[in-house]
Amino acid sequence: MAAMAKAFHFPMSATVAVNRGNGFWSLAWQRFRDDRVGVVSLVIVAAFFVVVFLSALGVIASGWNEEVAIPDAPPDLWGLLKPAPPMAMESAAQRAAQRMGKEPSLEPLLPSAVMDPLAETLARLRGESDVLPESRVVDPLAETLRTLGAGDELLTTTIEKRMSLPFGGDRWGRDVLTKTIKGSQTSIIVGLTAALLATFLGTLLGALAGYYGHRTDDALNWFYSVFNAIPYLLLILAVAAVLQQRGVVTVILILGLTGWTGVFRLVRAEYIKHRGREYVRAAHAFGVPNRRILFFHILPNVSHVVLVNVSILAVGFIKAEVILSFLGFGVAVDEVSWGSMLNDAHRELILGRWWELLAAGGAMALLVTAFSLLTDAMRDALDPKIRVAS
Amino acid sequence: MSDLVNATALATSVLFSVERLSVAFRRRRQAPFVAVREATFTIHEDETVALVGESGSGKSVTALAMMGLLPKYSAEIADDSRILYRERDLLRCSDEERRRLRGADMAMIFQEPMTSLNPVFTIGTQIAEVLRLHKGMSASAAQARCIELLDEVGLPEPRRALARYPSQLSGGQQQRAMIAMALACTPRLLIADEPTTALDVTVQKQIVELLKTLKTRHRMSILFISHDLALVGELADRIIVMRHGEIREAGETVRIFSSPRDRYTQALLQCRPRLDDVPSRLPTIDDFMVEAQPLFPLPLCGGGCLEGAGEGESPSPLSKGGVGEADGGLPSATGEKNKTLLLEVSNLKKSFFKREGSWRRHEIPAVKNASFTLRRGETLGIVGESGCGKTTLGLTLLRLHQATGGTVRFDGQEVLALSEEAFMPYRRRMQIVFQNPYASLNPRFTVGQSLLEPILLHRMAADRQTATALAFDWLHRVGLDRDAFDKYPHEFSGGQRQRIALARALTVEPELLICDEPVSALDVSVQAQILNLLKDLQAQLGVSYLFISHDLAVVRYLCDAVMVMRDGEVVEINDVDSLYRNPQSAYTRQLLAAVPRVRYQGSEIRDQRSGIRT
Amino acid sequence: MTAYIARRLLQMIPTMLGVVLLLFVLFNWVGGDPAYILAGKNTSDAQIANIRHQLGVDRPAYVQIGIFLKQIVTADFGASWSTNEPVSDILKTRLGPSMTVMLPMMVLGVLLAIALSLIVARFHRSLTDRAVMVACTVGMSVSILVYIIVFQYVFAYRLGWFPVQGWSDSLWTNLTTYAALPILIGLCVGLAPDLRLFRSFVLDEIDQDYVRTARAKGLSETRILWVHVLRNAAIPIVTFVMAALPGLLVGAFLIERFFSIPGIGREVLLAVERSDFPVIKAITVYVALATMLANLAADLIYKAVDPRVELK
Repeated sequence: MAAMAKAFHFPMSATVAVNRGNGFWSLAWQRFRDDRVGVVSLVIVAAFFVVVFLSALGVIASGWNEEVAIPDAPPDLWGLLKPAPPMAMESAAQRAAQRMGKEPSLEPLLPSAVMDPLAETLARLRGESDVLPESRVVDPLAETLRTLGAGDELLTTTIEKRMSLPFGGDRWGRDVLTKTIKGSQTSIIVGLTAALLATFLGTLLGALAGYYGHRTDDALNWFYSVFNAIPYLLLILAVAAVLQQRGVVTVILILGLTGWTGVFRLVRAEYIKHRGREYVRAAHAFGVPNRRILFFHILPNVSHVVLVNVSILAVGFIKAEVILSFLGFGVAVDEVSWGSMLNDAHRELILGRWWELLAAGGAMALLVTAFSLLTDAMRDALDPKIRVAS
Repeated sequence: MSDLVNATALATSVLFSVERLSVAFRRRRQAPFVAVREATFTIHEDETVALVGESGSGKSVTALAMMGLLPKYSAEIADDSRILYRERDLLRCSDEERRRLRGADMAMIFQEPMTSLNPVFTIGTQIAEVLRLHKGMSASAAQARCIELLDEVGLPEPRRALARYPSQLSGGQQQRAMIAMALACTPRLLIADEPTTALDVTVQKQIVELLKTLKTRHRMSILFISHDLALVGELADRIIVMRHGEIREAGETVRIFSSPRDRYTQALLQCRPRLDDVPSRLPTIDDFMVEAQPLFPLPLCGGGCLEGAGEGESPSPLSKGGVGEADGGLPSATGEKNKTLLLEVSNLKKSFFKREGSWRRHEIPAVKNASFTLRRGETLGIVGESGCGKTTLGLTLLRLHQATGGTVRFDGQEVLALSEEAFMPYRRRMQIVFQNPYASLNPRFTVGQSLLEPILLHRMAADRQTATALAFDWLHRVGLDRDAFDKYPHEFSGGQRQRIALARALTVEPELLICDEPVSALDVSVQAQILNLLKDLQAQLGVSYLFISHDLAVVRYLCDAVMVMRDGEVVEINDVDSLYRNPQSAYTRQLLAAVPRVRYQGSEIRDQRSGIRT
Repeated sequence: MTAYIARRLLQMIPTMLGVVLLLFVLFNWVGGDPAYILAGKNTSDAQIANIRHQLGVDRPAYVQIGIFLKQIVTADFGASWSTNEPVSDILKTRLGPSMTVMLPMMVLGVLLAIALSLIVARFHRSLTDRAVMVACTVGMSVSILVYIIVFQYVFAYRLGWFPVQGWSDSLWTNLTTYAALPILIGLCVGLAPDLRLFRSFVLDEIDQDYVRTARAKGLSETRILWVHVLRNAAIPIVTFVMAALPGLLVGAFLIERFFSIPGIGREVLLAVERSDFPVIKAITVYVALATMLANLAADLIYKAVDPRVELK
């Protein structure tokens, strides 16, 4: 209020401040820097990316599959929750036998067989369902162990096991923290790569359809309407049903090849808008070739739409990957993702072991929140409408 | 501000009194923008006051402040400001009190009637809403009153119009509906914020007449906001001129027109081309505002450009021929035959086809049988109201639209039938400048990139270095500094952008330049500069212009011949003097009659002008 | 109007053919030979050949597409590969439970989101608005899986307010007991994104010129919001809701699975797990058809709510 009152006494010339020598992106960056929520989000997302990068290089979390603690080791958050008890000794052979054998029995804890939401899952894991492909049922590690032979001399030696872990352990004593980190790697790589793929497809097709119009547009629009007629989730599941191979690449392909329609619609609309703009007419009047107008003149003007969309799609695909992996249509069994962790966690929650759910769900919520807020901030910074009219 | 209160005003009582009104807008990372600074004026009962100024002058903000419609989150009114309505300080009223005054005691109409009416409610509903709110009328009483109102504002078939949605009415009818809505509770003050700017000139005339009639009938006051001094002269009792948020001058309309005291008012009055007086060049705002300079120096670019041309410093653009022919006085389209024909258009047709379903196509003709010729170094004006097909015609000539029929001969060569490849040289020889300077430059290109592209594409320079030198040269010719080269369009004002667009078109040394409403998006004071620049460039380069405009005065100033279009048809074509002195068609006469003229032409103006223009 | 509808229906044919083609390519080529999938492992070549013949995969592609088209037109997709239940029966019986959960979820969710978005719009550009939006973003970022797992654990296992899962034949029992928790979860999951979206629709309208006119008329802020703005914002909202309708059919597959609700979504999951191609194909085709009809309905409603729209 005081500042405003002062404003009235400024000399007239001071009110017409001009930003000098700045392109679109640097102006956008200036606006972005003003947005505190956006900057914090950017830092969080960047931190995730660093972790993922290190994890992909194998610097951290490479040993996520090792059983470093006793089964279901409780979390201690580096001693904050409760003091960590000493290490426990356990025979590897014991463990191996346990992992090959059945699950720790859950039945007594469940109210009734009919009410059991896990019945299906359990049935699947027990291998009772004969329709299931075999690979889903069997733990790949168990296979390895079996070939090594349970009676192998080496395995009878004892291994040191921790009684608790900072974020707790899963039911085989694997560290939830390293699993979460490795899970971030899968989820972020899948989300981002699939988003790039879908955006590339959508932008290319949308640009062609919007710019050329007429028959090109008709054909591409038909293609779009076909994909659009099938609800997205159903399409993903149908493709997942067909592609028998599980793994990161499959998930990327499924998401990327089905997810381009939204970008297509947006980019096409943008190109239709821009192709009538006078700067494009001016380029035509000079006889600038179509390809140059398409990608050199118009594309930079819609690039912010595209960029924001990569970000929106990445968030959506991270969520979708989690669901797919949870259902068992996502990553392979020897990979870990937040989705497969949530699948484990679901079972463990009923036994009162909440830490894996919290770790996977929390990490995902943190990343997705930061990513979404970053997207919002980006959109605000890039949206020319927000620019102060003077 | 000396004659705020003068003899005639004292006779009636003061309705509104605005005292030291200052309004500022908060901005991110910048000092607040002061839109209005210490504005003081009064509006009396039964008086029409005009608030005149260019964009950014604060005239609309003033009106919104009076209505209490400024956005709360960003606008701030200075503590010592007062807005008195019948001695009640509105700025110290509660929101609720002000709300009850709005629509009842004071009403407002806006520039864009289309967007200002709610698109999803019928006209009747929207008018009845005011009546029911402020007068507590029953639904049927309100409806009856609506019909009266619509009848009063001259909407045909008011009973049926009641059930119409805004999108089903024309622009003029929409504005009439807005006026009916504003009049519903017979307010004491009607604020009209550029109510005719979005409308065609003939419709503008009707709306102004309507406002005059209503004002007399209801004995209300009107605050009429406009950028157009001549228009305001038709209805205002007093005029207030604003610039950059400050009131420059206020006074009786007669006085303002006959002896403007403020330099800015003088500039506004004289840099606008007029129908009845065609100077060889227009004075620009700087001629008045820059005090150190003599009254009428050469315009901004003028000196440098002409010198450069004289010394043969920039050789290429002048070599195309027609230079000598440009200075042969005012040539006429029908008269002299010694100039070579550049453009011959015969029976040009352009239709758009709207798909109706999958198979049938519905033909919408935009240009029907246009035929005309244009000689080198001359300017043909194409005039018409919105939707008459003048812009489509320009685009079709350049093959930016595909012609439906007819022929276009450019320098003897039929160009519509050429392949795109064979047409490429003609893309250099024919160029265009668009109306909207904000859309015609690629926002992601620096000015340099925008200029270099055509130069390199059409090999106007051997290498990048000479191309850059050429680009600098053109920037200079249109009156811009070298450092414009690395800037982006958003860093320039509208007028500067139009200069850049002009420079870009000229880099390829075209023989024909189509100017599609090049000044209609610009402020009056900037218009004069661009029009002068166009004249200068034609004199230097011998380029022919096809000047498309809705503005008859501008066309008169710039053109040798004029073609009037209506609904895609050519109504009349003649040399400029004959057309304006002796219009043949009724439509042309109608158009000319609708142009607002300065009413009070005291001898002082004439004297001053002739004195300046030696 | 009739001509318009007729033309739109005709225009669906190429799209539908496209869907058929897409599914055909997907299920016959991308995924490998369906016969192997049906037969499972350890089958002799003779058996495979036999199955191929039965499925018709040994015939030319156009014949196979013809068979597929005939299946669609006659609504006879044969029997499920895993349960032998006729596919048409599966579709018929699963529709009811899905709708029992999804319809109330959708209707309540949309109404709630509209009301909240108008309320939030009153606080536009304030700290409250910003806080609500951040809260929405956080709410949207938590996986739907976490919502389901936690809600089921807390409200059903721990507190026992709702049955953990189950389904009955009575619509009333289903609505009041079995579907209650799923609907609640759906509302919680859907509210944040809907609120964000609807708020943006409302805000788009709030800056329009006609709102300024309404203020100039002296209308109260409440009337401006709930009459003038809402009536305009209803246009994109209706469009959005119509576009979301087909999603109702399979939308809640996770909820249906967790709560063992015998709906279409759960059926899709089972079919995908069992590689039960006829079921997936049938569901996809009919959902696609429903989507196109919903789009047409959306355009008709669009015309009804927006006087500016002309049907072409």
